[in-house]
Amino acid sequence: MATIHLEELRKVFSVGGTDHVAVDGISLEIPDGSFTTIVGPSGCGKTTTLRMLAGLETPTGGRIRFDDRDVTDLRPQERNVAMVFQSIALYPHMTVRENIGYALKIDGVPKAGRDEKIEEAAETLQITDQLEKMPSELSGGQQQRVALGSAFVQDPDALLLDEPMSDLDAKLKAELRVEVQRLHKELDTTVVYVTHDQTEAMTMSDHVVLLNEGRLEQFAPPTELFDRPTSAYAARFIGTPSTNVFEGTVESGESGPLVKGQGTTVRLPTGALADRVGETVSLGVRPQYVTLDSGEHGLDVTVEVVEPLGTESVVHCRTADGTPFDVVTSDLAGVDPGETVRAGFDTEHLYLFDAGGETVAFGADLAELEGSP
Amino acid sequence: MATSPRGLVAVPQRIQARLTRFGVYVTAVVVAVFVTVPVYLMLTLAFQAPADAFAGGRVNLIPTNPTLRNFRVLFETTATSTYFRNSLIVTASTTLLSTAIAVSAGYGLTRFEFRGKSYAARAILFSYMFSPIVLAIPLYVVFFALGLLNSYFGLTLALTAISTPFTIWLMWQYFQTVPIALEESAWVRGASRWRTLWDVVLPVARPGYVSAAIFAFSVAWNDFTMARVIMSDENLYPITVGASLFLDRPTIGWGETMAVSVLICIPPFLIALFLQQYLLQGFNVGGLE
Repeated sequence: MATIHLEELRKVFSVGGTDHVAVDGISLEIPDGSFTTIVGPSGCGKTTTLRMLAGLETPTGGRIRFDDRDVTDLRPQERNVAMVFQSIALYPHMTVRENIGYALKIDGVPKAGRDEKIEEAAETLQITDQLEKMPSELSGGQQQRVALGSAFVQDPDALLLDEPMSDLDAKLKAELRVEVQRLHKELDTTVVYVTHDQTEAMTMSDHVVLLNEGRLEQFAPPTELFDRPTSAYAARFIGTPSTNVFEGTVESGESGPLVKGQGTTVRLPTGALADRVGETVSLGVRPQYVTLDSGEHGLDVTVEVVEPLGTESVVHCRTADGTPFDVVTSDLAGVDPGETVRAGFDTEHLYLFDAGGETVAFGADLAELEGSP
Repeated sequence: MATSPRGLVAVPQRIQARLTRFGVYVTAVVVAVFVTVPVYLMLTLAFQAPADAFAGGRVNLIPTNPTLRNFRVLFETTATSTYFRNSLIVTASTTLLSTAIAVSAGYGLTRFEFRGKSYAARAILFSYMFSPIVLAIPLYVVFFALGLLNSYFGLTLALTAISTPFTIWLMWQYFQTVPIALEESAWVRGASRWRTLWDVVLPVARPGYVSAAIFAFSVAWNDFTMARVIMSDENLYPITVGASLFLDRPTIGWGETMAVSVLICIPPFLIALFLQQYLLQGFNVGGLE
């Protein structure tokens, strides 16, 4: 167990004389015993960050501490972390039992003690029957369980998982998600999980680290990340389908500032955004909060594609100027490709972003201001 | 009727397939004849007494009286056992040395970045293109200066020089197929770099270094040139050089010469028999399918 501190962590790769900044000054504190997910699109530096935690990459700058222990310059062998790799990385020449027990063997644990721990891990992960098999005889999901088992017996300060499920099918993913969480509870250790899949990030973690091109975009619990994204990037990355973002301008109206855009006008409470009159802003609203033919505000959109998902459907539309606009609805009456519908939403579900994409106001706060006398 | 764009009548697939198969069979038979006939001749002559083999002025192709007489003559009247032992010593040490160098160099080239790496790699491939005889004279001069002529060690070094370019290249290719994640996962679990090499990398790379060892073995075992240049003391001759002398001796006839050939064939045959699966795996990766 350890609290993991990252201080101004930086990693620059030099490839053929050009520098590529993979991680650009990340500072954060991963709480002891928490399940923290690092999420972001490909190439955002999440795996590099994890590898620096494991000691497999040396930071170009900044420090890493486990509690008070500065591990920045320690080799991976000296850190007491366990890592599960994207490629699973089981030793093909060892049986499942030997694979799981390898860390213990290195530690010099006698065979009886090793076997006891291995069997405990195997039981937890339901792979007791596979112990004497070779990894090549196992299915992908079983191999992943073995990899988790190896981490389990190590009793590490931190368990690092690098996209461990990216090669599994959806059903196995769902199964293993539960398994990983169970393991986290039993191990009672700090888990850092890297994924590009925001669903995994949202469903499993206590905290989510959202990276954007090597920089920390937001570090928050999943619900906060969903409800109060600090930027348009965060709002768009978290949640499927992506948050609708369209442009507007702040104007001053008779009873307070107004945001106008795409044929809709959102009245803001007095005082809000007063210093931004005349500026271009972006409005964001999640497709789940958009309704058809109701809501305080609305804009006309043309339906392009309807994707049924069972209980509800995603309706992909475009606004008059071609900005994509998605709606999640269960009522498809009159919604056909080519038709124009009115997409409505309430102020409380709006996000307002400035021209740089930073969040300047949350609709929920505005609605509250409005409501109070 | 299917026609090709030029209007020619296309050969139906079935006939094409038959023709291909026929071609393969013919090639196989021709190759088999050219390879098997000499081997068969060697075996018949080796296991017949010369009087039987050449009775009636013709070569008797079907042994009626198989005997080990030729082998007995070899071991009783010639230094065959010494030659054989010399060959074994030099071949074993060359195989060990060459494989050890190949494993270390191949691992280094795969896992470490250093200045001039691509030049080193090119130099290795380039040096492989020289024929052994090109190296022989300079090596003679070097070994003369170092006092390594007429020594097992000298010949071992010379043969290692011939085989290592290829074995290094083979191991370099092979190590590239060993995922770095395997090593990293061992490091994270606390294994030192050496321990990882021993516990993880070498077992996984076994087909690679077995192939490298087989190659080094065959270079050393079949060598004639280097031994002829470096060894002038008859007691140190390997069996290839020793056997070539038999042809000059009036007491040794075809039967004995074929018997020594059989002896020369035994070790490679055993290796091919027991290690063929490794050989194929290793050379597959080396791009030598």
